[in-house]
Amino acid sequence: MSATKPLPHPAPESAPYWEAATQRRLELPRCKACGKFWFPPSQSCPHCLATDFEWKPVSGRGKVFSFVIYRRVYHPAFEQEVPYVVALVELDEGPRLLSNIVGVPPAKVACEMPVKVVFDDVAEGVTVPKFRPA
Amino acid sequence: MIESSRELRDVCAIVGAGNSRLGRVPGISGLDLLVEAMRNAIVDAGLKVSDIDGIVCRGPDDSYCHHQRVGERLGINARFSTTLDNGGASQILAAALAVMAIKAGLATTVICGYGRDAWSRTHASEEARVRNETRPSSQRAQEFGPEYGYFGAVAAHAFGATRHMHLYGTTRDQFGEIAVAFRGHALRNPDAQMKKPLTLAQYHEAKQIVSPFGLYDCSLRSDGAGAVIVTRSDRARDLRQPPVSIKGFGSYNNLTGWFAGDNMVTTAAKESGESAYKMAGLGPADVDTAQLYDCFTYMVVAQLEDYGFCKKGEGGPFAASGALRLGGSLPTNTSGGQLSEAHVEGMLQVVEGVRQLRHTYPKERQVKDAEIALVSGHGGNQVCHSTLILGRG
Repeated sequence: MSATKPLPHPAPESAPYWEAATQRRLELPRCKACGKFWFPPSQSCPHCLATDFEWKPVSGRGKVFSFVIYRRVYHPAFEQEVPYVVALVELDEGPRLLSNIVGVPPAKVACEMPVKVVFDDVAEGVTVPKFRPA
Repeated sequence: MIESSRELRDVCAIVGAGNSRLGRVPGISGLDLLVEAMRNAIVDAGLKVSDIDGIVCRGPDDSYCHHQRVGERLGINARFSTTLDNGGASQILAAALAVMAIKAGLATTVICGYGRDAWSRTHASEEARVRNETRPSSQRAQEFGPEYGYFGAVAAHAFGATRHMHLYGTTRDQFGEIAVAFRGHALRNPDAQMKKPLTLAQYHEAKQIVSPFGLYDCSLRSDGAGAVIVTRSDRARDLRQPPVSIKGFGSYNNLTGWFAGDNMVTTAAKESGESAYKMAGLGPADVDTAQLYDCFTYMVVAQLEDYGFCKKGEGGPFAASGALRLGGSLPTNTSGGQLSEAHVEGMLQVVEGVRQLRHTYPKERQVKDAEIALVSGHGGNQVCHSTLILGRG
């Protein structure tokens, strides 16, 4: 039996993020007091501590801040994936998200490379945002 | 910025230091390795167990009141006793807390230490190899990581290496020189886990783990422990060993995350070091030997810069110049470090800093005329940092 990849287990405060992803929208919490987005999701704004916020779509565009290439298999479900890229993507709106860079050979990935979001339906009802070169 | 308290400079000294067996030590818990190191430190100091009235230690990540288990095994009722939780930065914080407790009159002689069974936990049996985890499952990320195949401390630090290479042109040849230099030191240390020489060619030929890190960029999985004993400086003069004065310490924590701002390139070592230098009344030019938290080669590069031994971006060429070798301008990790001696989360760096300042090593291990040692601790995946500045007698 082949291993299955771990699925996200949303915390209560991040459930809307995963719900939006299933509808192919990248949404982040945005503070109604100071107007800034933040990530990871939490119940108050880390910039000004206000608790009044809304879930707002972001552009899905950003750049690779930094990245690594997994060559060792840490989890048996990723045996067929190595080498694969895990990147820290800085969105145009500011927050940084950990994700995969897909649709490009790992050797072609570079810091500052422009990327845009794509949605990977990894299981029934579960969609994971990933990024590819813009 | 808050001024570090100069009142604490030279108030206390480290009068005992010890380590347990290191490397692959099956059949003994991290706790009993710690007690082994503490017994060695007590003998080293020429103290009786009844002289110890304080314990500051760190336990495994899933332990509760670890210091109780330590006191039970040593037969100590302590006036001051606690367990710390700041990852690899805890070990220096333990010594700092000991100084504060002694200054406050809460204790007179405090034993500090850390022990772990990280090799046995992950490699001693087939079952352990499959599990291959030092962290309890309840503390692992449940989202924003595992679904992307993001696991382990190697990657978290490799992000910083990639970014540093991008910004400053740092190379794997430069990382390799760090691994090779520290291996050279380990070969002079009979307790070290690694016994064979390492060449730059072997460094490059080794398998890649999480690029840009290959096997020899990564520290060891080790069983082992270290311990030190802190007491008042006036008392230290009457004891067996040449006293090593605690001149300064500092701490800083980038709690907003390793991924925020420029934290992966300019680490918390910068602010932690500034506090410690101020308390000690010293600067980087005064440091004769550095014992740095080398969980990965790149972290040495970042810390050389953040501690002011060279400018930001110049850590790679500085390391590659041979400066870090015994006989170089800044002999660093002279026991082999976590890359080649054993990985005990910074505790052995404290022990080595003390031993260098005693001037009791054979010539080939001794940093000539070492008067000042800087020791660093780093934890929580590039978030927490602590600094200790030690001086000879």
